[in-house]
Parts: sequence; structure tokens; C-alpha cells
Amino acid sequence: MPLLEVRNLEVKFPLRQGELVALRDVSFSLDPGERLGIVGESGAGKSVAAFAILNLIGRPGYISGGEVLFEGQNLAKLSPAEMRRIRGNRISMIFQDPMMTLNPVLTIGTQMIECLQAHRRISPAAARKLAIEKLRSVSIPAPEARIDQYPHELSGGMRQRVVIAIALLTDPSVIIADEPTTALDVTIQAEIMELLLALCENNDVSLILITHDLGVVSQVTRRAIVMYAGRIVEEGPTREIIANARHPYTLGLINALPERTTPGQPLNQIPGVMPSLMDIPAGCAFHPRCSHSMEVCRCQVPTYTGGANFRVACHWAAGREQQ
Amino acid sequence: MSRYWTLFMGSAFLYRFLRDKVVIVSFSMLLLLVVISFSAPLIAPFDPYDPTQIDIMDSDVPPVWQADGDARFILGTDAQGRDMWSTMLYGTRISVTIGLFAVLLQSILGIALGLAAGYFGGRLDSFLMRLADIQLSFSTLMVAIVVLAIFQASFGTELYNDLAIFMLIMVIGIAEWPQYARTVRASVLAEKKKEYVDAVRVIGLSRRRIMFRHILPNTLSPILVISTVQVANAIMSEAALSFLGLGMPVNQPSLGSLINSGFEYILSGSWWITTFPALLLIMLVLVINLLGDWMRDVLNPKLYKD
Repeated sequence: MPLLEVRNLEVKFPLRQGELVALRDVSFSLDPGERLGIVGESGAGKSVAAFAILNLIGRPGYISGGEVLFEGQNLAKLSPAEMRRIRGNRISMIFQDPMMTLNPVLTIGTQMIECLQAHRRISPAAARKLAIEKLRSVSIPAPEARIDQYPHELSGGMRQRVVIAIALLTDPSVIIADEPTTALDVTIQAEIMELLLALCENNDVSLILITHDLGVVSQVTRRAIVMYAGRIVEEGPTREIIANARHPYTLGLINALPERTTPGQPLNQIPGVMPSLMDIPAGCAFHPRCSHSMEVCRCQVPTYTGGANFRVACHWAAGREQQ
Repeated sequence: MSRYWTLFMGSAFLYRFLRDKVVIVSFSMLLLLVVISFSAPLIAPFDPYDPTQIDIMDSDVPPVWQADGDARFILGTDAQGRDMWSTMLYGTRISVTIGLFAVLLQSILGIALGLAAGYFGGRLDSFLMRLADIQLSFSTLMVAIVVLAIFQASFGTELYNDLAIFMLIMVIGIAEWPQYARTVRASVLAEKKKEYVDAVRVIGLSRRRIMFRHILPNTLSPILVISTVQVANAIMSEAALSFLGLGMPVNQPSLGSLINSGFEYILSGSWWITTFPALLLIMLVLVINLLGDWMRDVLNPKLYKD
């Protein structure tokens, strides 16, 4: 049985100009210990999906359909108090910018102890001991001294380690990492990613990695989802997606990687930009930017086709499959 | 403890304090005024609240350096024969007390309402802020005059004189809460959008904890700045009300009522009764305002001047 199962999730934002659908018909599942990547450009709905899982969509947005089943419980229907027991306890989240995610006026120890005491009956001394232990587990040198420091006294990579330590404090079964390395130096990025990978493997934690970096996804995750304009366009084993992408959008993302370009040549960008969620094109949302677009793409939303462990929503890919 | 001490010793706050002569002087003056006024019973030569120590025959004695001066009364006496210096010390104590407690009340009300308005937003926000707008469209003095005059008229001067200090604290405290509420709300709106708030929501903390433990400490610097200015304002409001006869009673005078009591004699030669308390009041308000200005410069990193 999957640990986390998202079924037909739909998120809407009622705005003055009309209702904006940020997520439509998003379904996926996550097994215990599995690592899943969610890939897409900015605005594809990756972060909205993460917040929807935690039932933390900011007003005026709301979950308008579907369910998020975590260990059989529908998180979308829980009361705020019940939800708080899951958040940060069973499901943790890591944000993009470690400069911004720690409260500047509290020491990191205070913030860690607070998190523990929100979820456990634990004495301050025991909480402190556990916090130091977790700081050590994310390879922070001299955690006994670091724990009394303020966030501004730490470097960016160090802070992201602290953020990861906070996420691990309560031994969650799922960690959602929303672009965890985007704000860091390239060298630190690799370190943090390796650390995250090792921690997930050793503690048997499932990971949902949200990123626009296909390179990172291919290193860390076993399965990947590609999102476009609030919808999943392709899902499958990461290796399969990288080596043998079916959707033209995924192909475009792979070709846009700088490694795929001969030096001196311009990057192979996907022409155009992601449509505004206010007016998503009829038919396949990607058709105005797609080099394989056909007549049917303009008027008919593609349905999912594929096999047991992968699926793709594309008329062109479905046609090739049949041949 | 020693850790906080070393932190304080190494702080930019202390560094900038020690480099600014105006601030050192203002701070020392304020400290001196507060210390001597609160130790008034110990250092004042007379007790102005004790009728047995007051002799009407000593009334209107000029300061000691004038021809008719009396060595016992350094700054002279008022129309009732009270020693000016002692009365001023006691009066400053009352003025400072009213200023501090009125600001405490303002800040408790204003911070709670501003925090709620900023954090919850929506209808509560609109309601509280319109309430603040309405309240700010009446001047503090006008509200205070109306309330205090009605109280005096309905419960009699006797009871009023007993409760004057509480009434002044209440009136000045309640009339000025919108200053705090607006400032706090503005900072909360800015802080609320920051990612650390999302992060603690994801950690699963309750709303009350997020509001008071995470957002409130981040709005402290504007609160500190307006607090100093508000103390000066509250002292001035109290003085103005007392001057108008609605503040502290004559037998328990604050600086404002002292200025008022001497005002009628100022043209008949007894200039000292009004002048000395007035100078003290000006000095008190001035040093607090100078400190407030300095604090605003220091706590607002966008304003680094030197």
C-alpha cells in the first residue's frame, strides 16, 4: 500500500478576473522509502502541489477536488488541529532559501526545541540533546556550540543543513523538498543533495523532490513526474524519462540542459513561455510551443496513455506508440 | 548570562551609543531625572503631601539667590508655602509614572489588536483599522477632556482626586492605542509574507505561537522607537490636562498642575512657580525625544548615516 496517494487533486484560486485552476487532475503515489521527483518550469504548479499535500494553500486558494491519502487518511478533510499533528511531524518540508526559512531573532536551538515540543511531550533538556544529535547527523561541526547561534551567524550551506536537521527532528516518513539547493553555490548544492540522499536512505524516509533541475532529479530520484500548466504530462521511472522521454515538453527540457549544447552555440530553449494559468490554451496546454503539434492537439485534451509504470498525456506520443 | 553580556558589549547598539555625545548626555539626564524623582521621599528636603510641613507664612518665597530668598527653599516656594524643589521632585515622579503606565497600556492594547489585524486580515483587519481611523480623528486631548470632565461632573471632585492618577493612565492609554496598532500591523503584514512564517506553519505550530513567538519579536524595533516617543507624548498630554485643571489635583501636583498653579502669579512677580517646573518638563520631554530619534536611526538599518 502506498504511503501517500494523491488522487485527482484540483486546486483553485478564485480571483477577481475569474477562477484560476492551479492544479488539475493531479494523481500520483509514493511508496515508503521511495524518492519521487517533480519537474517543471516556474509556474507549473509544483510548489502548489506540495502545499496542497500539507493542506496549506494560502488564501484565497483552496482544494476544490480530489483527495490526499496519507496512511489511509484524507488530509484534505482533516481539522486544522489534526492537520498540525501531521505537519512537521509525519510530513516535513524543506524550502528553497535557507536565508529566509529560519527566524532571524531566535537561535537555531530555540527553533529546533520548539518544533520538538510542538509534537512530543519532551523536556527541554532532552529536546536539546536530540537537537544536537540531529545537527551532528547533518554533519554540522561542533553542534553543541552551533545550537546557541543565530541564523545570521551561519553560512548558506550550513543553514540549509540546519533546515534539514529541523525537518528530520521528528523522524518523519515523508520529506517534501521544494528546490532545496537552488539558492546555494554549485559546490554546496552537490554536498546538500548527497546529504539529503544519504539521510533518506539511512532513515527510510520517502522524499518528494521538487525542482526544475533535471540533473538533480536524475541523480536522486527513482521516479519522476513532469508537470506543465498545473497538470502532470508525463510520469515514469527517472531513467526511462531521461533516456527515453515521450512528451515533447520533457524532450524540450532535456534538450535545454546546458550539457546538451556544444560550447559556443546558443542553448536549445523551448520557444515561448508557459501560458498564464488564467487562459490555458484549449486542447493540450503545450500545443502553442510544441514542434509536433497536430490538429487534434488544438481542440482535445490528451488523455493518459502508457504502461504499468509510466504514463504520458500527448496525442503525438500516443500516435507513435501505436505504430 | 555572561554570554548575553558579551553579546551586548560587542553590539552595534552599544558601539553607536558610545560614539554619540548627544545621546550619552540625553541618556544620563534621563537617568538622573528618573533616579532623583523616584527617590524623592529620600532626598527631598520637605514632603509636599504632608500638611504639617507646610506653613502658609512661607508662601511666595523667591529662590535663594534673590534678595528675599530663604536658605531652606533653594528654588523658592509656591503660593501655599510648599518647597518648589521638593514638589517638583514628587511631581516629576507622578509625570513619569503616568507616562510609563499609559504607554504600557497603549502598547498592550495596540500590539494585541495590531497583531490580530495584521495576522488574521480580512474583516477583522478592516474593522479594527476603521476603528483606529475613527479614534485618530478625535484628538487625544479632546477625548481626555470629555471623559475626565464627565467623570468629574458625575462622581464629584472628591472621588476624582483620589482616582486621578488611574484615570489619566486609562484615558491616555486608551486614546493612543491606534498608534501602536497601525505600526504593528504594518510590520506584521511585511513579516507574514516571509518564508520563515511558511516554514513554521509547515512545522505545525499553532497560530498563537506563530503570532507571538515568531512574528512579534521581528516587529520589536518599530515598537521600541514609538514607545519612547509615546512616553514623551503621554507626559505632555498629562501636563496639558493638568494645566487645564483636569489632571492631577493641587494637593498631589504633577509637573503640569504645578505649572498651572503658578500661572496666575506669573505677572505679579512670582515667576519661579511656573518657570522651574516648565523647564523640568521641557528637559524631560526633550531628552526622551532625542533618545527616541537616535533609536530610530540605529534600529532602522536603511538609515545608516555615517
